[in-house]
Amino acid sequence: MARLQNRLDEHDPGAFRQRFKILFAIVAAVLFLLVLRLWYLQIIQGYELRLKSENNSVRLRKIKPLRGLILDARGTVLVDNQPSYDILFLPNRVKNVQEVIDRLEGLYAKKDLLLSADPFPLNGKPLPFVPVKLEKNVSWEKLAIVETASLELPGVYVDVVPVRQYLAGERMAHVIGYVGEVSKEELDKDTTGLYGLGDPIGKYGIEKLLDPLVKGKYGAEQVEVNAFGKEVRVVGKIEPTSGYSVILTIDAHLQKVAWDALAGRPGSVVVMDPRDGAVLAMVSSPSFDPNLFNRGISHGKWEALSNHPLHPMENRAISGQYPPGSTYKMVVAAAALQEGIITPETAFYCGGTFELGNRTYRCWQKNGHGKISLHRALVSSCDVYFYNVGKLLGVDRLAWYAKSFGLGSGTGIDLPREKAGLIPTKAWKQSRLGEPWQAGETISISIGQGFNLVTPLQLAAAYGGLANGGTLWRPHIIRRIEAPDGSTYRVFSPEAHGKIPVSRENLDIVGHGLWGVVNEKGGTGYALKRKEEDVCGKTGTAQVVGLPDNDKARREKKISAQFQDHALFVCYAPYKNPEIVVAVIVENAGHGGSVAAPVARKVVDAYFAQKKEQNRPQVAAFQSAESSGRP
Amino acid sequence: MKGGKLADREEEIVLKFDRRLLFHFDWTLLGMVLGLCLIGLVNIYSTGFSTAETGADPLYLKQARWILLGLIGMTVAFSVDYRFVHRYAYWIYGIAVLALVAVLVLGYESRGSQRWLSLWGFRLQPSEFMKLAVIVTLTKYFDDHRVSAPFGLRDLRAPFLLILVPFLLILKQPDLGTALIIAILFASMAICVGVRWSALLAAAASGLLLIPFMWYFLKDYQRERIMTFLSPERDPLGSGYHIIQSIIAVGSGGFWGKGFLKGSQTQLKFLPEQQTDFVFSVFAEEWGFLGGLVLIVLFLSLILWGLKIALHSRDFPGMMITYGFILLIFWEVFINIGMVLGILPVVGIPLPFLSYGGSSIVMLMTGVGLMMNVSMRRFILQS
Repeated sequence: MARLQNRLDEHDPGAFRQRFKILFAIVAAVLFLLVLRLWYLQIIQGYELRLKSENNSVRLRKIKPLRGLILDARGTVLVDNQPSYDILFLPNRVKNVQEVIDRLEGLYAKKDLLLSADPFPLNGKPLPFVPVKLEKNVSWEKLAIVETASLELPGVYVDVVPVRQYLAGERMAHVIGYVGEVSKEELDKDTTGLYGLGDPIGKYGIEKLLDPLVKGKYGAEQVEVNAFGKEVRVVGKIEPTSGYSVILTIDAHLQKVAWDALAGRPGSVVVMDPRDGAVLAMVSSPSFDPNLFNRGISHGKWEALSNHPLHPMENRAISGQYPPGSTYKMVVAAAALQEGIITPETAFYCGGTFELGNRTYRCWQKNGHGKISLHRALVSSCDVYFYNVGKLLGVDRLAWYAKSFGLGSGTGIDLPREKAGLIPTKAWKQSRLGEPWQAGETISISIGQGFNLVTPLQLAAAYGGLANGGTLWRPHIIRRIEAPDGSTYRVFSPEAHGKIPVSRENLDIVGHGLWGVVNEKGGTGYALKRKEEDVCGKTGTAQVVGLPDNDKARREKKISAQFQDHALFVCYAPYKNPEIVVAVIVENAGHGGSVAAPVARKVVDAYFAQKKEQNRPQVAAFQSAESSGRP
Repeated sequence: MKGGKLADREEEIVLKFDRRLLFHFDWTLLGMVLGLCLIGLVNIYSTGFSTAETGADPLYLKQARWILLGLIGMTVAFSVDYRFVHRYAYWIYGIAVLALVAVLVLGYESRGSQRWLSLWGFRLQPSEFMKLAVIVTLTKYFDDHRVSAPFGLRDLRAPFLLILVPFLLILKQPDLGTALIIAILFASMAICVGVRWSALLAAAASGLLLIPFMWYFLKDYQRERIMTFLSPERDPLGSGYHIIQSIIAVGSGGFWGKGFLKGSQTQLKFLPEQQTDFVFSVFAEEWGFLGGLVLIVLFLSLILWGLKIALHSRDFPGMMITYGFILLIFWEVFINIGMVLGILPVVGIPLPFLSYGGSSIVMLMTGVGLMMNVSMRRFILQS
């Protein structure tokens, strides 16, 4: 208390009085200085500055940047920009917007043109200083009318907007994606501060993933404008910066071949380089036209796309989840060999059926394959053989191997919206469905049916792993990003993200079986046999729903298309030192060998034809150089 | 001296809210502050008027909500005895510095600087609250060491380091304006307590010598602003654009102003940063010289009223807290309006009570609460 008392006594405001007096004076003087300045600006210079503001002499206008190009691995431009013209109206001078619209319609009518405003610009009160978009993406004819009739249309002006041009159209829509106007949710979520109202933003695929890099930077222009809102002169200008260009691993030619081979049937094709995981083609069908979204898609078209029963907006290659069917037998074989459950010589008898408990499981070959060992079981895709092997392996051991092949989890490809698929285990079923695993389910699992679900990309990656001797490369689709000045901003190097725990020897045994599928008589993929290179592959026919056992009922039910089997085929080539792996799935189309394999064949043919084409001139150049080098 | 008895006694003083206090409540101060807030709200309403609605709450509503929150801060600040605040000054300092560190580590970045922390859905700007923390901390330090006033350079070393930490943390964000304000606060408060002429001259001289080095540490855009201030025509698109448009806006207002919601510079969005740093141009354009004069006189009254409170406070801490806070307002008003009128370079310093900004308004209202605190207790504290 004493201390506190001391302080109070010690504090002598009088000592500060002098200082505060000075301060009073300083504060008053400084604020008076501000008032003086205010007087100078508002009273002395007021008239002049008022004129300046009324003439609206200087306006800062943003200049929209060009988005970065997207190119394929060979430098083919896949996505470009082209100008689009909007007609805008600034309602400063003329208060009545309707009057201007009527006048514009009158001018159009002289040339038999109609104002096609969608949505109509006046669905709300026009704000005094905000430009109204009268019409967007207008034709050259209309543009000419507006430009020449500027005196009759005060406040109306033309704005140039660069829009995306997707040259590969539907073929690459799922990979490249599309661009639309930034939505309110996207603006709210944005933490970069890079986006403003009305800006274009990538909504899907690469356009979405790399949007901050691809979008570019606004430039600005200081424009002097006259009373009619027309530009008098440009006072200053900062050029916009174009966006970064993206170079994909995709080969546009292979992409086209794969797309054409599917011929509009619902399904997917993935082509990958097994040596580094580079995706050479990724097709999903049916597709959509990404150019539709450029200037805002109409409500009707959007509804039609999003409610389409075949989901054209979905990228089946990474988000379509299918039972792998017999293509899964590759995994079962590798697992059983590695676990020592079978040797190449181990044989089982196939009489066309397999009994477990009181259920009968069929082989696709009604009359059976007889006594059969691994190689022929793969070649002729004998179900009974794999029922036996699967039963010995058990569900959990099989699942462990399947997962080590990368199945049942996202591959981590550089595209948004990848799905994981599913490789079931006993624990999974117990926790998910609350039921114990049934022995019979293991039997279905071992031929890739039952709960098993994989994506076409996972299949390609798994077969790629087998083909290259056991390395799982992370599939990637972006090769390089280039700055606007042409310098390389980032290169994406291949990344190995797993090693298949199966010995080289065992992988080779399975690989030889896959060779037989295509190259031996009686192989389910014999149709794909080529003279030049040996192709290895595996067919698959995945049941969509459990079909009745009774043959007649089966045939009847199959009439309905949506219950038809999915046709699958996965292959790689050449047999020694494989360079490509192709996974094909055609939905509800029947047998893998007859439907999916021909699609793969076209892709493989195209790949090697192209390779030959490239090699020829190089060899010639080398030879001529050598010959001319000699005296 | 440090017995438990004393501590108990102080506790009693601190936590008891005497009903007599209400009798001495400073209604004039409250009136002036609410007047300024109201002008601010009306002005922010005007800046948002011609923006196409985006569905989000308009800024003036957000600002109104922040003002309500500020009133709560004010109430808390005048209810607790300011000597309680004084006693825990270093704790307040510590928390504020930690918050600044947090900003650098997990702060929210926008437009190239990292100044915000997200807390329960609020986006806070700790550097604003640091201003109050600096006032309270320096008050505490000078109170403990005022025996040695007037200070020499050596005496100022410790408080200098105390200020250097938040100064550098804020400069790192980067937020040149706030860092500058903190440095100015330090100088103003030290001079008020008393600094030897020799020390003042030495500090000024070394400050001048440091300018070339400071130049080196400035960001490009900051150098650009200073260069632009020296010759506005250098960069008509960037920072020069701001100042040119601001001067046109202010000048075109004339004596009577263009009228509420009728400022073309504002509504046409020629004027940049209208809700924050350039609010005064909006006001001057729409309300003219008359409006500007009223506003400046209102600020002048607030500052003089605050200085009077400081002079009549019962003890040194009360005086210094009030003095520091009122000088904060003075400097912000002077630098902001000076910048808008083109007599000072463009630095990001808000106009108190008028600029949009939640943290700023809550900090200001809390500071006003502290002033009220000192103002009403000067009658009660007589023993």
